[in-house]
Amino acid sequence: MGGRLALLALAAAAMIVAYPLVFSGAFMGRLGALVLLSAIGASAWNILGGYAGQISVGHAMFYGIGAYVPLMVYKLWELPPVAGVPVAVVFSLVVAILIGFPTFRLVGHYFSMATIAVAELIRIVISNWDFVGGAIGLMGPATSRTVLDLSFKSSVPYYYLFLAVLAVVLGVTWHLERSRMGYYLRAIKAGERAARSLGVPVRRYKLFALLLSAGFTSVAGSLYALMIGFVDPDSVFGLLISVEMIIVAALGGAGTLFGPLIGAAILVPLREFTNSAFGGGGSGITYILFGGIIMLIARFEPGGLMEIGRRAAALFKRRPREAARVA
Amino acid sequence: MLLEAHHVTRDFGAFRALDGADLTVADGEMVGLIGPNGAGKSTFFNCLVGDLTPSAGRVVFNARDVTRAPPEAHARLGIGRTFQVPATFEDMSVLENVMVGAFLRHPGRAAAIDAADAVIERVGLAGLRNARARSLGTPGRKRLEIARVLATEPKLLLLDEALAGLNPAEIARAIDLVRQIHASGITIVIVEHIMEVILSLAQRVIVFDQGRIIASGKPADVVEEPAVIEAYLGHSLKRGQKR
Repeated sequence: MGGRLALLALAAAAMIVAYPLVFSGAFMGRLGALVLLSAIGASAWNILGGYAGQISVGHAMFYGIGAYVPLMVYKLWELPPVAGVPVAVVFSLVVAILIGFPTFRLVGHYFSMATIAVAELIRIVISNWDFVGGAIGLMGPATSRTVLDLSFKSSVPYYYLFLAVLAVVLGVTWHLERSRMGYYLRAIKAGERAARSLGVPVRRYKLFALLLSAGFTSVAGSLYALMIGFVDPDSVFGLLISVEMIIVAALGGAGTLFGPLIGAAILVPLREFTNSAFGGGGSGITYILFGGIIMLIARFEPGGLMEIGRRAAALFKRRPREAARVA
Repeated sequence: MLLEAHHVTRDFGAFRALDGADLTVADGEMVGLIGPNGAGKSTFFNCLVGDLTPSAGRVVFNARDVTRAPPEAHARLGIGRTFQVPATFEDMSVLENVMVGAFLRHPGRAAAIDAADAVIERVGLAGLRNARARSLGTPGRKRLEIARVLATEPKLLLLDEALAGLNPAEIARAIDLVRQIHASGITIVIVEHIMEVILSLAQRVIVFDQGRIIASGKPADVVEEPAVIEAYLGHSLKRGQKR
């Protein structure tokens, strides 16, 4: 069983690496990169929302900061946007600390609502602040000046850049899952009072999780800006950005390592196909789609696809033993 | 003294739930807290473990003032507690539940697994090591809670009705477990409704009524005191004797 699972993982990894070579068309190439980008964002959200159970519906604030700062760095000093990525991470961490202290006093839905409020506040401020482009937004370099601008016509370089970042995020998450912090986060999710009684410094660990999560989300936003080359308040600070991270993670399995990647591989193609099939009005369909998926997950399987898979595997494992008993 | 509570008082608004309770527990003792519903036992218990901050008074553990320390600091200093309604981590396995406790003294994963396995063996949950907590019944959960807190290696263990909801056979097994924990050198304070448990386990009993301590002493002596009989024990003790 373990050997077969390893083989399966190897095959999946090979497919992911070879994807741009197999699907060389522009639409499919872009789609592959977008799946990975969405997986990075959802995996970042997953650290706080999935493992620690703190359902932030405001992660667009970190995504937006990540997207805006590189293009601001370009606008102000004509530097390659990529130089703004670490600056954006620092900004995001500062914002995370500022909102972490007051909001972590809130529990459950109240925490979620507070994160929505802060994110929307930031979006509205950005929309009305001409220094950062106001409602119009910001542009990156129109043509690539040097390779450092990371402005490519093909989506293949982005695909591999995103894949590398995703590997880092998943590597960190994997390490986290097996470390004391991972266990502490899951304990906090299951019951703060019990966790504290066992010596878990709950507030400190929530803040660690938020910082990690915010930092990676910021990087995801930066990658979006690098690839698209244009940002406006709605496309990176919008509520839909936060909601999509949650749905992608929850569909695959919140609090699991590969759940967000699986969720992204299903949801992003769906979104892109509805967008292209229905044209400009397609984003409305996307909302309906997301709403339906939320209801289905909440009603039938809060553990997501990973949980269904785990149950199927358990059934699979039990069968041979039962067969042996009958014989 | 391992634990000293001086004149601990707790108000909820205008209501004084606990009024100047004193308690000293020596290293190695097993002390029972009893009293009718609403007598202030749970309030006192929660003041001792850091879940509630006393409105007045002082709690000293191992010569350190812990009156205002948060629950996690209590755990670190060596005060463990269980919950009246088991608060096991439902989606985690038995092993993972106990590991959360073990991580307090063993930050490394391998060491935490070893420590957790030793405790799981000790409380008799080895057969359920990889079962999810939600698949356990009430006795299993209570046992798991005890295992989890034992893994934090406490000096003092406070049990909040650890035996409520168990049938007689399960109670007998649980009493054995509490005895075994006490014999291993852990001081125990136990809140319990079931008289049989307190009488057979505790060396000393503190009786609460209406937020005050009205009696304390050896279980056999305390149940004879008129104030205690009047407050709480009258009916249940007489019925118990007839049986």
